[in-house]
Amino acid sequence: MLLLSSALLKALKIGEEWCVMKKILVVVLISILALVLAACGSSTSGSENSGEIPDRVRVVIGSTSTGGDTFQNAEAASRYLEDEMSTNMKVDAIGGVQAFDELSKAKDDGSTVMFFHDMAYLGVEYGAFNEENKLENWEIGPVVSINPGNAFLTSGDAPYDTMAESAEWLSENPDETVTVAIQAGGVSEIIFDGYYLWAKEEFGTEVSDRIKVYVTGSQEDKNQALWDGNADIIHGSIGANAEFTKEEVEDKVKMKFLGLSASERVEGYDIPTFAEQGITVNGEEFTFDKEFFYLMPKDIEDSYVEQLDQSLEEVVSNESYQEDLSKNAYITNYISAEESTDYLLEKREEVNKIIEQAPDLDDISH
Amino acid sequence: MEILGVLGPTSILLCFLGVFIGMIFGTIPGMTATMAIAIFLPITYSLEMIDSIGLLIGLYVGGISGGLVPATLLNIPGTPSSLCTTFDGYPMTQNGEGEKALKVGITASIIGGFFSLLILYFCAPFLASVAIDFSAVDKFLIIIFALTIIASISQGSLLGGMFSGLLGIFISLMGIFPDNNELRLVPGFWEEELYYGFTLLPVLIGLFAIGQMLKEAEEGMKPAAHQDIDLKKGKKSGFSFGIFRKQGVNLVRSSVLGTFVGMLPGVGGSAASITAYSQAKNFSKQPEKFGKGEPEGLISSESANNGLIGGALIPLLSLGIPGDSTTAILIGAFLLQGIEVGPLFITSNPDLWNGIIYALIVANIVMFILMFFSIKYFAKIVYIPKYIIFPIIVVMCVVGSYAINNGVMFDVWTLLLFGLAGYIFMKIGIQIPPFLIGFILGAQCEKYFIDSLKGSNGELTVFFTDGPMAVFLWVLILLALGYSLFGNKKNKKNINQEAA
Repeated sequence: MLLLSSALLKALKIGEEWCVMKKILVVVLISILALVLAACGSSTSGSENSGEIPDRVRVVIGSTSTGGDTFQNAEAASRYLEDEMSTNMKVDAIGGVQAFDELSKAKDDGSTVMFFHDMAYLGVEYGAFNEENKLENWEIGPVVSINPGNAFLTSGDAPYDTMAESAEWLSENPDETVTVAIQAGGVSEIIFDGYYLWAKEEFGTEVSDRIKVYVTGSQEDKNQALWDGNADIIHGSIGANAEFTKEEVEDKVKMKFLGLSASERVEGYDIPTFAEQGITVNGEEFTFDKEFFYLMPKDIEDSYVEQLDQSLEEVVSNESYQEDLSKNAYITNYISAEESTDYLLEKREEVNKIIEQAPDLDDISH
Repeated sequence: MEILGVLGPTSILLCFLGVFIGMIFGTIPGMTATMAIAIFLPITYSLEMIDSIGLLIGLYVGGISGGLVPATLLNIPGTPSSLCTTFDGYPMTQNGEGEKALKVGITASIIGGFFSLLILYFCAPFLASVAIDFSAVDKFLIIIFALTIIASISQGSLLGGMFSGLLGIFISLMGIFPDNNELRLVPGFWEEELYYGFTLLPVLIGLFAIGQMLKEAEEGMKPAAHQDIDLKKGKKSGFSFGIFRKQGVNLVRSSVLGTFVGMLPGVGGSAASITAYSQAKNFSKQPEKFGKGEPEGLISSESANNGLIGGALIPLLSLGIPGDSTTAILIGAFLLQGIEVGPLFITSNPDLWNGIIYALIVANIVMFILMFFSIKYFAKIVYIPKYIIFPIIVVMCVVGSYAINNGVMFDVWTLLLFGLAGYIFMKIGIQIPPFLIGFILGAQCEKYFIDSLKGSNGELTVFFTDGPMAVFLWVLILLALGYSLFGNKKNKKNINQEAA
C-alpha cells in the first residue's frame, strides 16, 4: 500500500492539472487503507479443521475488570486447561454485552468461548441483557467453580450483626430505614430480593417499606456509599472486603459481615449463611451460590464440548488448581456439560419465582 | 544499599524492561499504560511478587511518560492524560522547538513523579483517609472545576467552546444508564455496539490523528511536508534546566493537583492534567501565550500526569481502592498472587510496600535516562515525510483501537467515525479540545451528580449545603470562571486594538 501510494504520488507530479486529483487521491488512499485494515480485523481466527481443538482459544468474560472474581476464575481455569487441551488460551475481559456479541459471531470450532457466572441469565431476566442472549440460545458448557464469599456487610458500629437482625432492628425502630447498596441486574440484586421478600413475609410491609436500595456499580462505589452514609448495608464479598473487617482497621472504614448467600459457610470465616439466619423465601431456605461456567456457540462441535468437559474434569481434581482458587476463597464445583444445562435452567426457574415477586428497584430507590 | 536488598537485580531488570516497553506503548497512539499492564498481567503469575511489582510499576511509569512523544511531535495524545500536552507541546514543535519541548516534558515528568512519590511515601495512610471523606458532591464539584478549562481554552468563540464541550458531554452519556439498565441516546441500529458507549481512546485518537490527516490530505501532502520544521533553531536544542528556574510554583501546584486528583477514586487521571493546565493558565503572567508553544503549559500538564501515578497508588495501597483504571488492573496482580490489598496492606506487607516505593524510584530514574538521552532520535520522527508516517500512524491507531477493549471491532469503527467527525468539526467550527474534555469528564460528572441526589433524596440544595469543602470548591469554580471570562474579554480587546 505504501509503495503504491508513493508511486501514485510521483506519477501525479507530471502536471499541475493533476493537483486537485492528487488531493482527492490521498484522501481516498488513507480512507481505503483504514477501511481495509478494519475489514481485515473483523474475521475471527480459528482452526479450519473440523473436530480439532484450535491452536488458540479466546475466552471472553462477562466482566470488564481484571481484578474481579470472574477474571480470576477464568484465568485460573484457562491456565490449567490449556495444558490439558494442548492449546493456548487467552482471557479477554470485554464485558457481558460484548462477550455475548462476540459469542454470537464466533465460529463453531471453539476458538471463542465465554466464561461467566449467574449474571449470564440473571441479566436477561432483569432486563440488563437482550432476550437473544438467554441460555437456550447457547451451548451450555460445564460449571467450574463457586465464589462462596458473596456477602452483605455494614459499618463496624452498626446496631445489628446479621441480615436477619437488621430486619428485626427495623421492626423495633419504626422511624428508621435501612438502605442497601447493590448493582442492578446481577447477583447482588437477586440476593437483595431474597432478603426483601423474607423481611416482607416475616415482618410485613411496615418493615419492608423501610428497606431502600442505593443502586450503584463497582465494589469501590458500594464501599464509598457506606462510608458516605448513603448506604447502611452493602453487597460485597470475602475476597474484596475481608480486609476491612479486621480488628486493627481504623473505625472510620471498619466493616462487619452480616451474612453469606452461599449454601455453606466459608472455612476460616465466622460468617453465618442466610439459611442459618432463618431467611426463607416461599417457605424454603434462601441460598444463592455464585457459580462460574462456560457458554459456547449453539452449533459447536460435540467433540469440542467433550474435550473441554474431560479436560476440565482433570483440572478440577488437580490439587494445585484447587490451591490457586483457595488463595481467594473460591472453591471448585465441577458439573459436566451434560448435566449443567438442566442444572442451570432449573436454577433459573427457581430464581424467576423470586424475581416475579420482587419489587421494582425504581420504586424502592431513593 | 537497601534498595538492592529489597528489589534485587531481577526486579530492577524487569523494572527497566517495563519502563522501556511502557514507553513504546505510551508512544504509540491508541496504546496506553493500562493496556500494557493488562497484557503483562498474566505473565506476573509466574514471577515472584516483588519482580512483578518491578515490571508493572515500570510499565505504568513508562506508559504514562511515553504519551508525551506523539502529543508533542505529532499532535496526537498517546494517552488521555497527555491531552493537554498537545496544547503547547505541538506548537513548540511547529516553532522548531521539538527537542526542547520533549526535554522540558521529560524533566517535568520526573519532577512530578518524584513529588507524588514523596507524598505517597510520607502521607499515604493519612491522605487515603482524607480521600474517602470526599463525598459525591465534592467529586461532582471537582469535575465541574476541571470543566472550567473549557472557558479558558476556547479558541475565538467562548460560546463555540462551550457548545463543543456540551456536545462532548452529550455524546459521553450515550449507552446504558447503570442505575436502571436502560439504554439512552442510542440509535436503534447501534444498541448492542453502544451498550457501554463510545470508548475514549478511539474517540481521542480518531479526532486528533485521523481527523488531522484527512485535513492535511485535503490541503495536499507534499512528500517533504514535515521537513520544513526545523527541530532545533540553531545548533543546540534550546533546552536548559534554567527554564525551570521560574517554574517552581507551577511545578509544585501542578504536581500537587496531579497527586490530589489522582488519589480521588473515580475522578481519574485525565482530570488531573486538565485541572493543572487550567490553573497554570489562570495563574500565569502570560496566559495569552498558552496554546501557542508556552513551556509553562507543557510543564503543568506533564508534571500533573506523572504526579497522578503516586496519587492513584495512595488509595490503592492504603485502602485497596484503585484511584484509576490502571491501578484497578494492578489490584489484579496482587490478587493473582493471593495478596489482599486493603487498609492493612502497608503494615502487613512492609517488604512489598518498600518494594513498590523503590520500584517507583528506579522506574522514574530509568524513564528519565531512557527518554532524555534518546529523545533526539525520537524527535527525528518529524523529518519523516507525511506520506510515509501517516499510513504508519493509521495502522497503529487501528491496532490500538482494536486492542483497547481486548478485541472489540466496533472500537475501530469508532476511530474512523470520529476521524471523519474531527475533519467535519474543523470545517464547521466545533472546537476539538473542549469537545474532548466534555467527552472525558461527562460521564463522571453525571455519575456524581446522580449519586449526590441519591444521597440527599433528590434535594438540589445539597450542592451548596454539603459542607465547607463544597463551599470552597464553589469559590474555586467561580474564581476560575471569572478569570477565564475576564481573560477572554481582555484578549478580544487586544485583538481589536491590534486590528485597529
